[in-house]
Amino acid sequence: MTIGGIFLFLSTQIAEGVNLHIRQTTQFKTVSFSIKFRAPLDQQTAAERAVLSNVLQHSNGKFKKSAEFRSYLDDLFGTVLYFDASKRGSEHTLLLNVETVNDQYLQQNKVFNEVLELINTAILEPNYENGTFVPSIVEREKEMIIQRIQSIFDEKTRYAQHRLTQILRPNHPASISANGTIDTVKAITPESLTKAYETMINEDRIDIYVVGDIDVEAVQKKLTEALPFKDRTPKKAEPVTNESKPEKEYTKEQQEMKQGKLHIGFSTPVRFGDEDYAKMQIFNGIFGGYAHSKLFMNVREKESLAYYASSSYNSQYGLVYVVSGIEPSNEKKATDVIKEQLEAMKNGEITDLELSQTKAMLVNQLKETLDLARGQIEIFDQYKQLDETFSVDTWKERWDQVTKEDVQKMASQVQLEAIYFLSGKEA
Amino acid sequence: MKTIEFKQLDETLFYKKLPNGLDVYILPKKGFSKTFVTFTTKYGSIDRTFVPIGESEAITVPDGIAHFLEHKMFEKEDGDVFQQFSEAGASANAFTSFTRTAYLFSATDHIYKSTETLLNFVQEPYFTEKTVEKEKGIIGQEITMYDDQADWRLYFGAIENMYHNHPVKIDIAGTIESIDKITAEHLYTCYNTFYHPSNMLLFVVGAIDPTEMMAFIEDNQSKKEFPEPTQIQRHFEEEPTDVAIKERELKMDVQKPKVYVGLKAKQTDLSGDEMLKHELSVQIALECLYGRASDFYTDVYENGLIDESFAYDFSLEKGYGFALIGSDSSEPDQLADKIKEVINNAESLLTSDGIERVKRKKIGFYLRALNSMEFIANQFTRYEFNEMDLFDAVPAIEKLTLEDVVEALKTIQGESQQTVFKVLPSSERAE
Repeated sequence: MTIGGIFLFLSTQIAEGVNLHIRQTTQFKTVSFSIKFRAPLDQQTAAERAVLSNVLQHSNGKFKKSAEFRSYLDDLFGTVLYFDASKRGSEHTLLLNVETVNDQYLQQNKVFNEVLELINTAILEPNYENGTFVPSIVEREKEMIIQRIQSIFDEKTRYAQHRLTQILRPNHPASISANGTIDTVKAITPESLTKAYETMINEDRIDIYVVGDIDVEAVQKKLTEALPFKDRTPKKAEPVTNESKPEKEYTKEQQEMKQGKLHIGFSTPVRFGDEDYAKMQIFNGIFGGYAHSKLFMNVREKESLAYYASSSYNSQYGLVYVVSGIEPSNEKKATDVIKEQLEAMKNGEITDLELSQTKAMLVNQLKETLDLARGQIEIFDQYKQLDETFSVDTWKERWDQVTKEDVQKMASQVQLEAIYFLSGKEA
Repeated sequence: MKTIEFKQLDETLFYKKLPNGLDVYILPKKGFSKTFVTFTTKYGSIDRTFVPIGESEAITVPDGIAHFLEHKMFEKEDGDVFQQFSEAGASANAFTSFTRTAYLFSATDHIYKSTETLLNFVQEPYFTEKTVEKEKGIIGQEITMYDDQADWRLYFGAIENMYHNHPVKIDIAGTIESIDKITAEHLYTCYNTFYHPSNMLLFVVGAIDPTEMMAFIEDNQSKKEFPEPTQIQRHFEEEPTDVAIKERELKMDVQKPKVYVGLKAKQTDLSGDEMLKHELSVQIALECLYGRASDFYTDVYENGLIDESFAYDFSLEKGYGFALIGSDSSEPDQLADKIKEVINNAESLLTSDGIERVKRKKIGFYLRALNSMEFIANQFTRYEFNEMDLFDAVPAIEKLTLEDVVEALKTIQGESQQTVFKVLPSSERAE
């Protein structure tokens, strides 16, 4: 249902601090659910909730063995059900995503009601033994999260980005992983995990999303019954500040590898929801967000220095990252070319074509995202923090109004804060 | 224009073979704002020895050329094609696999303009020695990037182990040395041979009117001239059934070992319904044996032999095929032994109940995947190049029996078809 580009979710409060958002649409062959539990982000809660998401994924009071749980999901026509941990700004999110085939495409079986019951089981019937999660399962899943954290080292691009963020914003939500740290994961016990679970169920802010070809009233009623959450006054996360400063302006590290990974961190005062937010999105699009951008056209196409050279704007933390993979001996040249692109923008060297291309791409990207059930949920979830009804038309208009001078002004506020270079040992 | 209806799936597909030989498929999707278009040639990294169009002797071209050609298609005399797509708000991309090269875009506006850009840029080659030289630096960095990726090295290491002669064992992008030999003339030879419309398929899926879109494409194609289509002659050496190397390892700067068990397929000459049935049977067998609900998975998971990276997959094309099963593991040898034990005893582990459960899961997978335009366009093209039909997959799964699955699995089960490849940490790391 789209009216003037407005995406309609019907929102109802099912308990204080617990909201249900439903969107009826015939677009998809499946029904998607997303249940998001939110709490303030710190290393310890991140670690606990990462392990918790794995433990809940493993088994529950009804299916005590993982294989039984998985077999049951297979039988429900491969219903996808997974818990995950993520973060946004200074909040941690533990989420449950479920996607199931719409009954109308199946020859005989009806799975929808069974899936609702399963959601209740997965969230509210934990696999307890003597009042806590089963110790052997907790130990096993702690180990899984530790391995997930360690695996970053083995992927050089992710590792370089991880190191840059640590250096750029120490002791700041930007550098706290949604999985916590190895030490905070190790410190978890079955008792502390059980306590973390109970806090999450009773105190977190909760948003429940449903998208698909469903009967809105019936689903509202059934879900309210399936998830009888109590009233709560959720803790508010501290707003993200920019008080943290980089440890060092330049860091070079070495591993056994061939390519050099050049990662540069910039700051901007503009955040998601600020008046200048749309302008800053255009800045990033012209700088390095696309294949028509300055970084791609110069670092790659003109100078043949790299296969990839791009920028991304993290509006939660007011950061812009530039990443590129280069021949190690070209480090200085590549750094110079990247800096020159920002300088050019500060000097107002922005063409009408760059401006119109970027606007067209932003609109397209937003509309494409809204063609996915998950996209609809994520966009609505993010934009509902703003005090307005989300619509494509509103955002298109905001981007349309951005001028060359606006972008130049955005560029002038962007500051290089830290450079991180990871390269081979013989370089 | 032919209309093909899939009632249970609520989809209607429109098809036409144009006079120049191009196959055009259009699938309208209601309620979406996006359109996704792919323009694919049946030409990939394995097509390295062939008879160039209009000639009679086979030649062998430098490794990595199909991928190099894909890169160079985007550069024209008047600049970069990405610029035109961006202007119309379209995201464009391309990829080269072992058997295909695809050019694609997605957009929510100006669909006809971008469709025209796509058709024209792929059908108007422009290669000069200067632009070819310039690209070597860019692709060189792409190759180096993959060289540093332990998972990619693991994947290719396992394939290299399996094959004696078949070019599937050669990295899609080639090597720094092999791409250095590429010239503009090579690119024209490959282009002229493999980019004839009769060797290509256009797939349009999304928010479009099929009749109008078909007319638009026909009009665009009728204005261009192509030589008469000819049968392309590709040459492949004989490939033994057994693997080339039983076991091998590579040291890299990683913290945790990685291992793949490779199972080389001996039946690689199927096409059409037979291939569809065979491929689905092997996939279902692997899911039963190694999936999350299997005894094997419970055992290796609980004993800490695998982590979240555990994966298994089966690839099949004309001339080659293989299953890969593996994970990051602190005990790679023990894990490899357990994986082999399961495949060697598969008959006693596969049951009717297990098969029925996995069939349901697989049907659900296809129905979910039909929400994705990218999946539909890419998979439909792959299926069509192998004379299979994507929309037949669900009915084909429904018909499979335990016997079918056991029979199909035998083709990857032989002891001599098994290989192990490991990536190991290069140095002792102080904890």
